Formats: sequence, structure tokens, C-alpha cells
Amino acid sequence: MQTTLMNRSKRRQMSNAALFMGPAIVLLLLFFVAPIILNLFVAFSDMHQTVDFREFTTKQFAKLFIADDEALLGFSLRYAFNKALILSAIYVFCTLLFFNVGFGLILAITTTSIPERLGTFYRAVWLLPRMSPSVVYALLWHWTITPTETGLLNQILVYSGLEPINLKLDNPMLLIILANGFIGASMGMIIFTSAIRSIPKHLFYAAKVDGAGPLAIIRFVVIPALRWPLSYITVYQTLALLVSFEYIWLLMGPARSTMTLAMLAFTKSLAPGVGGGQYAYGAAISLILIIIGVIAALGLWRLTNMKKLLQAPRIEVH
Amino acid sequence: MSIRSIVGSAVVAATALSFAPAAMAEEITVKLWSRADRAGPLRAGNIVAAAETLNAMLKASGSEKSVKVELIETNAKGFDADALDLLKAHSVGEAPDIAVAAHEWIGSFVEAGFAANMEEHIASVPDLYADMIPSLWTSVSYKGNRYGVPQDSEVRMFFYNNDKLRALGKSEEFIAGLPAAVNSGEFTLYDLCDVAGEAVEKGIAEQGLLHRPNIGPDFQMLMASFGIEMYNQEQAKLQISKSKLTEYYGWLRYCVEKKAIPADITSWDWSSVHDAFRGKKTALIKFHGIWHGNNQIKAFGLELDDKDGYFDKITWTNAPAAAKGGSPSNMSHPIVYVVNEQSDQKELAAMLVALASQPVPNTRHAVTTNHTPITFGQTAMPDFVEKGWLQIAGTPLLKYAQFMPNHSKIGQYNSITFQGVQAVETGEMGPQEAAEFVIEELEAELSDDVIILD
Repeated sequence: MQTTLMNRSKRRQMSNAALFMGPAIVLLLLFFVAPIILNLFVAFSDMHQTVDFREFTTKQFAKLFIADDEALLGFSLRYAFNKALILSAIYVFCTLLFFNVGFGLILAITTTSIPERLGTFYRAVWLLPRMSPSVVYALLWHWTITPTETGLLNQILVYSGLEPINLKLDNPMLLIILANGFIGASMGMIIFTSAIRSIPKHLFYAAKVDGAGPLAIIRFVVIPALRWPLSYITVYQTLALLVSFEYIWLLMGPARSTMTLAMLAFTKSLAPGVGGGQYAYGAAISLILIIIGVIAALGLWRLTNMKKLLQAPRIEVH
Repeated sequence: MSIRSIVGSAVVAATALSFAPAAMAEEITVKLWSRADRAGPLRAGNIVAAAETLNAMLKASGSEKSVKVELIETNAKGFDADALDLLKAHSVGEAPDIAVAAHEWIGSFVEAGFAANMEEHIASVPDLYADMIPSLWTSVSYKGNRYGVPQDSEVRMFFYNNDKLRALGKSEEFIAGLPAAVNSGEFTLYDLCDVAGEAVEKGIAEQGLLHRPNIGPDFQMLMASFGIEMYNQEQAKLQISKSKLTEYYGWLRYCVEKKAIPADITSWDWSSVHDAFRGKKTALIKFHGIWHGNNQIKAFGLELDDKDGYFDKITWTNAPAAAKGGSPSNMSHPIVYVVNEQSDQKELAAMLVALASQPVPNTRHAVTTNHTPITFGQTAMPDFVEKGWLQIAGTPLLKYAQFMPNHSKIGQYNSITFQGVQAVETGEMGPQEAAEFVIEELEAELSDDVIILD
């Protein structure tokens, strides 16, 4: 009798697990694991134009690396690949530091320290770039930065007595960092705002009673409470930025000056009219992106002590 | 209704059925793949019209068969993207019976087993193809055989704004003599940028010379002016000369330094380029193709049949030579019909192509979209003489025309050499450095398919 009960309970546990976890696991396998495995296969093939898988080869990687006996690891990077790596690093680091985390934090702190309605209004304004369709958003940027004197930015500059500028030609990286940053900041803003809201009010009162000014409150009350959201946003946005190319493509097209790794993979494989159709080559670059992503995620995990965040809560009631 | 009448109707119905034709009317569907393109809706339309002609012939012969064209209209951004889509469709067995494509993809189509060899078909109906302008066949040839039928032809040129040349102090003799000066090699690419740069310096034009902002065939004309032969016929491989490529990039740098070519032209979009030549105070020279003629006529406030008015405003030349006494260049980039090698209706599809390629339907396409004719006879047709004066005027430029190589990696080749154009124009690299970079990339990506010359 006992064993039947045990069996029944075990079966139930299993079916419950399948019921609750099943859909998530299937989705994970279908949309995360399968594409990575597929990408791995394609990267080691010579798939192009006709999408045939004909042979197993490492020749795609020879397009990225050159065997070099004098180099430390026995190979050096080809110019285009090396440049893409550097541009990706600049793009991810700057967008993350100045906007997705930095500016998001500033927005969250400022909009929660002003009257609530006003705060909500400003946050809504900062959500607009994220809500507008990407093509419309890119178009607005195009109008703003048109290099002639008809561009909005140049009209303002000329009116202020300054020389007109050509962002696309002279500061292309700044342009894509700004365009992505204005969108990316809102995500951090929302997460940080809700974290700040969850800080018990009495902590602020106590701080004020103890004579803390606004800066001291931020330093000793708000920031410590934001530690986990900050780690989360940093890891999440690093990965998102590494593979993002949508706005770079819409604003700059296949320009060399903003050819990050994700853009390089896209232009070599799927981008229309730029010598695409080299699916295996694109997959090889993507594979390297995946490896960089994994290393970056693990490194940041370690650095920001995310493990602690994901630990089981200690006050579980059994 | 009485029983008698029911029985009566049943008998009538049964009799009618028993007298129905033994062979039921058979409708054969031919699938046609064509990019939705405002520059040539009749590329597909003429195949549909050809089916109607063929159906009338079938009916006259008493055949119960009829042909229906099912149009697969794609929305790819350009012919390159469309060809890649077509190859993908082919690899999963979804290819059409006939496709409209840019000719340089024929190499890829043959290698992928899509394009059918048309030699037998052409030989079977020689009269339908006898008037085809022979040089156009080159555009569909791959390793000695023809794998398509030219659908249209075009001519590319440098457009000069005459009013701006006049404002620059150039005499009417100079303007009128430009085409001849280019053809004789007296007016070179360097002279071109000197004039264009001067116009910008003096504030007569905002831009001196506009070339296409993206990867595409036009650059081949410039490369040809520098003596770069992109294709080695004997070995059926692409090729590049390092010294000539350096010289070509050096010229682009020269033009940017002269302020003739805007340094950021490769990040413009097409509409800005077109608008810049059609605007009031913008570009002096634009480099593109004849099919923009009608839009230019409208932009300059002229009537569509005002030939003299048009040539008073605009001068055309070939691409000038790079050095004094050199040869100018031009290129034509035909769109072609390709028949699917694996189609069950291969012969029928080829016949539809043959009918669509006849002077009357082709002229309908050519005069409405400013394309040059594919047969000699077309130039004498009243429609062409009346409405096609632009094309007739452009045809002499074809004397210097060449085609893009029909090599499966030409897209990659163009993409990589364009990298050099962008690197040099934006000032990222010097000409020498850019040429070295481009050659390294060509070797890495194309390996055995490219020959590197000194």
C-alpha cells in the first residue's frame, strides 16, 4: 500500500514537472539550443547561395584568422575581423556604460525623486523611442543628422553660430551609440525604478533624520539596494548589444565604419544586396559571437556575483 | 414537377454528359518568378501576354490544352537579394518554371542546376531569335553556352547639368564637344573631377560628381577605364590587378580631395542621390543609367517629347578614360529570362520566353521604362521612334559597352571592391592600403576563383 502511494506520488511529481517545465524546456530547446547546434554545423560547412550542406570544412575560419608562427597563439586576426572585434567592444562598452546602465540609473533616480506624476511623465517620454517602430525611429535620426544645413541638428548648430557637422562621416560610432543608447536606457530605467520603489520608505526617513543629503541618500540607501538590478542589466544588455545590429543597419547601412561583429555576420550572410549569401561564413562569425557572449556572461556573472542573486531564498518556509 | 419531367431532365443530362469531349480541357500552369519592380512591370507582363498568344494558337489548332501563367511576385529589395531568394527556393524544390533575373547570376544558376541550357531551344525556333542584337547573347553565356534570353538592355552614362557648366563659364562648344572629347580620350576622369571640384569650390554645385551609393555594376565602368579586366575568359575566373586597383582608388581619393565626390556618398540612400541631381542647386554630374531619363525630364520641367529641350539641359558621356588618349567605357546590365532546368514544362516555358522576346511586346517594355532594344528591328518601330528617342540617342554609347562577368562569385567580388571605394572615400585608408586590403579579402573569400595580377 505504502509503495503504491509512493509510486503514485512520484508519478504525480513527474507529471507535474513535465506539465510545468515542459513548455519552457521545449521552447528552450527549439529556440535556443537548436539554433546554436545548427549554427555550429553551418559554420563548419561551405553552405552558400543554394543552402546545400556539402562538406565538412574549416575554411570559413581561414577567412577570419591567418596562421602566423610569430603570434602568441599561432594565428593572427585578419584586418576586417580584427576591426569588427574592436568596433564591437567600443559599441558594447560605451552604450552599456553611458546609456543602458549609466543613463538608465540617472533617469531612475531623478524621476523617483521628483513628484510622482512628473516622474511618470518623464519616464513615459523616455519610453517613446522603445515604443516607436524601428524604421520610424531610424528615419527620425536620419532627418536629425542630415549632413546638409537642412538637418535639424545642423540647423541648431548653425543657429548657435557653430559649424555644421556630419555625424555619419566623422563620428559614426558616436551616432550608433547614441541611437541605441536612447532606446536601451529605458529598460534599465524601468528595472531600477521598480527597485527604488521597493526600498522601504522608512529608510529614507531615517536617513533624512540622520542628516543625510540627497547625494548621501543615493550613495548609502539607493545604490546598495540596486546592486542586483545593476548586475542583471549589465549582463543582459551586454549580451543583447553584442548581437544587435538592427539600428546600425538602418542608420548606417553596410558602412565599414560601424561594421561590428554582428553586422559583419549579417552582411556576409543575409543582408540584401551586399554580397550576402555566404551562410557558412556568417555562421562562423556568429559562432565566435556566441563564444564571446558565453565568456562575457560568465565573466560578468563572476564579477557581479550573480550567483548569490539566483540562490534560493534563505527564509523559505518548509 | 411530375415524374415524367424528372425522367426527361435526367435523360437530357445523361445525353449531354455522354457527348462531353473525351479529352477534358487541360490547363497547364507555368510558374513565373519576378521581382515587383516599378522599373519593369512588363518583364512579367510580357510572359503573361505571351501565354495569351500561345493559347490563341493552341485553340486554332483544335487543342484542348491551354497555358496559365502563375505569377510569383517577390518583394526583394534588389536583383541580388532576389536571386538569393530564388536559389533558396530552388534548393528546396520550390523553384518556378521561368525567372526574371539580373544576368550576372547566370553563373550561379548554372552551378546550382537551375538554369536550363537554351541552345537547343534557340536552334529549334531560329526565326524568333534571329534579330536579337548579337552582343547581348554574351550576357547570358556561361562557359560557351547560352543559359537565358536577354529581356532588356540598357546603357549607363555620366549626366552633366549643362546650365551649371555654363555658370562655370564653359562655352557651348565645350559642352557640345564633351561626348566626343570623352570618346577620343582627350577628356579624362581626372579632368572630370577637376571640373566637378571647381563647380563645388565656386558654389555653383553642392556636389560635383555623384556615383551610386551602394554596391552595384556601375563601378565596373570606372574600373574598366583604369584597364581592370574583371574576368578571365579562358580560365572562367575573376581577376584583379593590384597596380590598376591602386590607381583606381587613387583617382577616387583625388576626387574627394578636390571636393568633387562627397566623402560620405556611400552612406547616402538612392533617393538623396537622385534628388541631388534633379534639384536646383545641387549636383553637377551624376553617374548612373538611361532609365532615369523620364524623371529627369519631369524634374527639369520639360515635356516628355522635348528631345532638344532635354539635351539643352543635360549632356551624356561614356565613362572617360583614366589617361589621355585612353579608351572610354560603358556597360550594359541586361535583365534576362531564365528557364528552370528541372521544370516539367521546360520546352513550353522556353516558348513563352521566345514569344515574350518579340519586338512588339519588348518595345512595350522598353519605351515605357527607358530601356534600350534587344532586337535591331525595334529601333525602326513607330513607337520607338516617337517615344523612344532617349533610347535611340543612348544606343551609340553601347559601342563601348561590356557586361558584368557571369561568375557565381561576382556579387562577393563587387562587394569587396566596394569596401575599398568606401575606405578610400571616407579617408579610412590610402589607395595603396585599400588595394592591399581588398586583395587580401578577395583572396580570403574567393580563394581559387580569383586571379591576382600585379
